[in-house]
Amino acid sequence: MNKAKTWSAAFALLLGLSACSGDTQTQGNGGGGNNGGVDAGPTEDAAPELTPFEEALEEREVDYSAALRIAALRLTGDLPTLTELQNVATASDQKSAYEALVAAYIADPRFTDTQLEFWKNTFKMGGSVELDSAGVLAAQLVVEGRPLTELLTAATGTCPTYDPNTQVFTPTDCDNGVAVHAGLLTHPGMNAHFTSNMAFRRVRWVQETFACTAFPAEVAAEPEALSDTALYTAPWEFTSISGTANGGDIDFLDYQSVVCANCHATMNHMAPLFGYFDDLGLRTDDISVPKPVDGNPPTALIDWLPDGETTGWRVDAPAADLPALGSVMAADPRVAECSVARAWNWAMGKGDIVDTLAAVPPAVFQTQFDDFVANGYDYKELLYQVFTSDDFVQF
Amino acid sequence: MKPTKYILLAFALASFGACTEGDTLGGNDIDDTPGNNDDITEPEDTSGGEDNTFEHPGGPDIWDYLERLAEEGPPEFSSRMHSCPKMTYARIGNILQSRGVDLDGQSNLSAGFLWRNGAPALGAPNLSVRSRENTEITTASAAKLFDIFAQAAPEIITAMPTLAACTVNGVGTEMFTPEGTCTIDGIACLTGVPATVAHLELCNEMVNRASTTTKGQEIAVAALAAAAHTCE
Repeated sequence: MNKAKTWSAAFALLLGLSACSGDTQTQGNGGGGNNGGVDAGPTEDAAPELTPFEEALEEREVDYSAALRIAALRLTGDLPTLTELQNVATASDQKSAYEALVAAYIADPRFTDTQLEFWKNTFKMGGSVELDSAGVLAAQLVVEGRPLTELLTAATGTCPTYDPNTQVFTPTDCDNGVAVHAGLLTHPGMNAHFTSNMAFRRVRWVQETFACTAFPAEVAAEPEALSDTALYTAPWEFTSISGTANGGDIDFLDYQSVVCANCHATMNHMAPLFGYFDDLGLRTDDISVPKPVDGNPPTALIDWLPDGETTGWRVDAPAADLPALGSVMAADPRVAECSVARAWNWAMGKGDIVDTLAAVPPAVFQTQFDDFVANGYDYKELLYQVFTSDDFVQF
Repeated sequence: MKPTKYILLAFALASFGACTEGDTLGGNDIDDTPGNNDDITEPEDTSGGEDNTFEHPGGPDIWDYLERLAEEGPPEFSSRMHSCPKMTYARIGNILQSRGVDLDGQSNLSAGFLWRNGAPALGAPNLSVRSRENTEITTASAAKLFDIFAQAAPEIITAMPTLAACTVNGVGTEMFTPEGTCTIDGIACLTGVPATVAHLELCNEMVNRASTTTKGQEIAVAALAAAAHTCE
């Protein structure tokens, strides 16, 4: 037999089998629908007709063996062992056997490694001790069962290290001249990695990482028409940010092509808080982020906000400094939703929620969200809830 | 060998397309949920006139997103279904190692060497430039993965009886019987899911159709692993 032909035939056959096996396992209802055996005549009590999407969800079947492979890969970074496979496949109570293994995976030392991988990817930070320490902090909070909100509020130990050989976290304070730290908001690695003109890249990272949406972050109940074609949608007063007409060098109030203020209304109220870090992430006494005009001088406060305006996370959530920003963010339910949505997407194999627009309606994870808040933002417990949820074990 | 690789890739891609159609039920239903950025202004639209052309960052292609909505359905549906992301670079290494491959292999044709030097092709992250690990399967990553498993097959077959991951109650698992046929436990340990009779028949067919039993066994292991681990 020709070797090349054998390879081709073998691989084609296997791909067809493996790739579609999930589908074949969900076809067991014989087309009977949900009302098999019931008189199909129209009555007032007849169940509403399901959409094709709802039908597809209904047709899923529980497969703990398939779920185990995915859970093992995500939580330990490796396949389940043959013993684990057989324990679930032959168990009289497969659900309990599966859930016990998920708990064991989360308690496994390898879980720390997968959490490091997850958070480094989430933060887009890594490759040096300083950049790694952001992901290490998140992994430490998860593994130690501490509130994930400490990513925004921790005042100490925000630049930890992790020794993969001893599997020990070492809490370390960041040494970048900050008087009172606020988790990753004052982190030197973050502020260096996302340095830019007027601190907007830092602001964008904070928004997308912790609120799970790109800008614009806020939408007014009643948008304001600026012209026949320009609609201002942010809830802040239009002139609450700077333009060339009220003292700034950059015209954020321009709306000839697009309405800059739709995004910048929120961004400009946050950016000054991140303006006091240089491109190495060190705290400076004066604003040190450059302004994109000739000579790239340092930005002045008036370039973001006109006199009298103050900083904040949202229009109804003022924040005078980064610790205050961290506090209001930690109290924002949308930030908690974002954390749960990221856990959900990771478990279900989706891409990044912002970069790939992999949206998750909050109703999908309402149970897990409620538990997450009730459990004091314990991400490890949240992951257990997600990996044992009804949706995760169905295919 | 090159034409064969292209054939394999074509089959792989065709199979992917075929099976994502299970989700292709059409329609979309956008709402205001985390990650649902349908109201984002496109980056290309964010520069103004001659006096206001500041650089703005790129973002997702809204047309790709709409196409995906049409194919996969609205988030209320698609978010509850498992996706099929690319096996991450680190997990490929873990699987190879736990299944008996020497990741420190020095030969240019060893699986360990191919894995160590294949990070870009396998979509590994480049975090120093703020680039996450790619979760999508690409032609390059699928081809590289298959190359790695093709080279890993002899090591896996030899090592399996001594692997902790493939040992049950103190007894190791052989990938093949003394007669050269596939074992159901061997396939399960290789793929990470309980093997079916269909798996066994296909494995044996690959062994039997090769010019020699050894070649057939290596082909069977590589093909099984590549098919099973194309995505997580």
